[in-house]
Amino acid sequence: MKRLAAVVALASLATATAACSGGTTNTSGGPGGGGGLFTTIDVSRPGLDASAPANIWNPKGNSFIGYNAMKLGWVKNSLTDPNQFYPGIAAKWEIAPDNSSITLHIQPNAKWSDGKPVTAEDVKMSIGLAYTTGSTAFALTPGAAGAAADVQIVDDKTVKVTQDMANPSSKFARGVIDNWVEPAHIWGSLLPADFWEKLKASRGTGATADKDREEILAIGQKVLAFAPPKDVSAGPFTLERVNPGEALLVKNKYFYNAANVTPDQVKFLNYSGNEQVWNYLSAGKLDHSGFTAAPTDVMTRIKNAPGSEIIKGFSPVAVGMAFNQSKKPYDNVHVRRGLAYLIDRAQVTKVASPEGGTPALTTSGIHQKPAQEWIGPELSKLNPYPHDVAKAAAEFKEAGLRQKDGKWTLPDGSPWTVTMTAPSGFSDWISAQENIKSQLIENGVNAEVVTVADYPIYLEELAAGKYDVGFWLMALGPAPYDIFQRLYGTPNGWTNVAGKVTHNAPGKAGNWMGGPEELDVQGVGKINPGELTAKLNAASPEEAKPIMAQLAMAANQDLPAIQLWDYVNTQFVNTSRFTGWPAQDSDLLRLPAGVWMQLGMIKKKQ
Amino acid sequence: MGVIARRLAGHLARGIVMILVVATISFFIVRSIPGDPVAANVQKLIQQGMDPVAAEQATRVLYGFQPRGTLWHQYIDYMSGLFTFNLGQSVSHAGQPVTQVLGEAAKWTVLPVLAGTLLSFLVGIVLGVYAAIKRSGKLGDVLAISGSLLHGVPQYVLGLLLSAVFATLIPILPADGPVDILYEPGFNAGYLGSLAQHAVLPVATYALAAYGGWILAMKSSVVTVLGDDFILAAELRGMKRSIVFRYIARNAILPLFTILALSLGLLLGGAVFIERIFNYPGLGLLLLDSITMRDYALMGGAFLLITAAIIVANILADLFYSVIDPRVRGGEEVST
Repeated sequence: MKRLAAVVALASLATATAACSGGTTNTSGGPGGGGGLFTTIDVSRPGLDASAPANIWNPKGNSFIGYNAMKLGWVKNSLTDPNQFYPGIAAKWEIAPDNSSITLHIQPNAKWSDGKPVTAEDVKMSIGLAYTTGSTAFALTPGAAGAAADVQIVDDKTVKVTQDMANPSSKFARGVIDNWVEPAHIWGSLLPADFWEKLKASRGTGATADKDREEILAIGQKVLAFAPPKDVSAGPFTLERVNPGEALLVKNKYFYNAANVTPDQVKFLNYSGNEQVWNYLSAGKLDHSGFTAAPTDVMTRIKNAPGSEIIKGFSPVAVGMAFNQSKKPYDNVHVRRGLAYLIDRAQVTKVASPEGGTPALTTSGIHQKPAQEWIGPELSKLNPYPHDVAKAAAEFKEAGLRQKDGKWTLPDGSPWTVTMTAPSGFSDWISAQENIKSQLIENGVNAEVVTVADYPIYLEELAAGKYDVGFWLMALGPAPYDIFQRLYGTPNGWTNVAGKVTHNAPGKAGNWMGGPEELDVQGVGKINPGELTAKLNAASPEEAKPIMAQLAMAANQDLPAIQLWDYVNTQFVNTSRFTGWPAQDSDLLRLPAGVWMQLGMIKKKQ
Repeated sequence: MGVIARRLAGHLARGIVMILVVATISFFIVRSIPGDPVAANVQKLIQQGMDPVAAEQATRVLYGFQPRGTLWHQYIDYMSGLFTFNLGQSVSHAGQPVTQVLGEAAKWTVLPVLAGTLLSFLVGIVLGVYAAIKRSGKLGDVLAISGSLLHGVPQYVLGLLLSAVFATLIPILPADGPVDILYEPGFNAGYLGSLAQHAVLPVATYALAAYGGWILAMKSSVVTVLGDDFILAAELRGMKRSIVFRYIARNAILPLFTILALSLGLLLGGAVFIERIFNYPGLGLLLLDSITMRDYALMGGAFLLITAAIIVANILADLFYSVIDPRVRGGEEVST
């Protein structure tokens, strides 16, 4: 008992010491002291792992985008152009008029945090690492669209990357710029001496090429597991230390624009669920956070926190209620149209995503913000499917459905229930489905919501064609091909291998939407939507526009999915300690605050 | 060979067999969980802005850490690895050895749960004795009611309540992780103080949640002992109150040691809610994360660790019993 009392007393003393000391240890080694501590979270990666290395490829790695992890450039949140960038390690770049190459010029003052200069050799080595871990321009898949054919060091600060024009992509420049850069003197040993020869050989066909590709993928595993002895970064910060609750980064005095980076330290807070983020925001602890969905009362609490502000902008993604057309009655377009008229999208959005979405104006397959720029006057010709019960009834009758005692039944009189499935934990999807269920039942259509244990099970069962109706992310911009491949790609039967498009029967090769291979689009004629989508890969913006208009009309007429709401990029900031935040609708909004700091925007509040 | 040594040998042999059986069952069960983690990872990367081709390759590299070959070959590799404490590589931690990942998480589970359990045990048994002796007085009633009330409140409600009161309404204690990052780790007052300060709320939650069970069990055990002849004899012989109290406590505590040992075995299972509320990334959260990622090696390792801890705790409880109870030590059968 005496020992216990001593232990308790010691613990109390320690607690009191910490409670009384109150202050914190300033470990900043950076110049320009007094810049303050910036507190944030990484919304893309919940859960800090104190034992993970400072490695951007490691899924748990303690590398934070824009802070101690640097790309060649930072992709702007453009409505339509995927090749708009802010400078990163590359200060500037030239893209060949035919998109066949990009020449990168490294920041003249760029240095690693150990004082060594950033060179073209670092960039080339990093490109090698990108080949091993998965990258758009540096893909191992033979014939992949927009893949690089050659990487050439022009001089110590210049690198030229050439596109393989056998299957070009308009996104080639983005595929090159959107890559990490790491120091060759730390990471270089991961690539074997014959790496570039092996890479060349892997581009062929046959057993040897397959073997080479496997060997390169095996290097990728070493890259993912690699633990640098110390974080060496060319970004504005370097990792000081991590514990399971927090990560601390300190200013990198060698960063090329260090004079304009204000905070001395950055603290990342750990979280494992949304409620922790809500608590941080409500307490005013975070200077910045990406979007986290929150119920209305929590959102009000967050908004009421001193200094709390919300910045909104374009988010190139929408959510759709997608149908399995292999299942009756969803094979009938009139049923899908009837449901489109019956569902009040404004009400669904208000319930499910009041801060994070705006009701879709119509189903075009394109987010409403860039839709005007892509398809112009054609947009107004699309059917907006306004909430109209009478029109819904007419469509259902056209489909042969019957109404009995106020309930809609299948043509043979058997009961019809709209069964919607969502993965557990996707609270906005489940809320939306519950609201749709209420709306449908109110109008005589039986409906139910089924939740499955998690996202891996949802995707497996969705791909296996087990669900009648599921939710599906669509309109993933800004690149035209990416937008429409969500509706007219693998989920709907089309596979695009090395630019060659084939169509698979419903239920085969991931075709769970089960739509027809050809569509007769009013005012256009017969089209093959999958082939048209594939053409978008290499099309210039002017070539893409008419194709996108045709595909938008097809999506609007055929409704493989009902576009419910278009997401909004919502960022939380706190103006109590820092100012200089991006404006509403800024093209910086999808980039982390570390990039805003690099650009010299964030300033300490005076 | 003494009784204790014989018992130990028997327990160890049975324990090893049980661990191997559990390892086999968990190996096959975790691999039969439905779901397509590869597709989920591809979709996650696409939603983060990655091109589908790149997302597929990145996922292929990541899931390359998953063992290949037939299920039978994987099983043989897994079981042979067990003997060298090699539980494989974690997919979600990109190739880190599972033992290392478990070790990192275990410390953030073991420390608060152990402290909370021992604290609640000590307070619970002392007050349990008082509640039994004073069972016809107001103090006894108060103690018994407090035990019943706290025993009925779920851990997560207590955790949320303590967090709301002491971290939000009257913000005098932190609820955001195990230690403040701004303190240099090491044996210094600031760092250790921060550790202790951050541990107060989770330890208090564990302690309060378990306290009710201990006080009620101890009270019931003491009431049974109070009716025994040796207590009556001690009182009739005019022994000091403190000595009689010790007699009562020592005899009544025996069955509770078994429960304590089992509780300590279960502590490695973690407490997901408390870990989440107080941001203590321990074994509970790790297990959840591994299930979401279908990280088979990590799931299997976590299940095995929890099971092994319970088996070891059982063995220790039995041995401890042999030490503290002369009847068991002498080879007598005893019913608890």
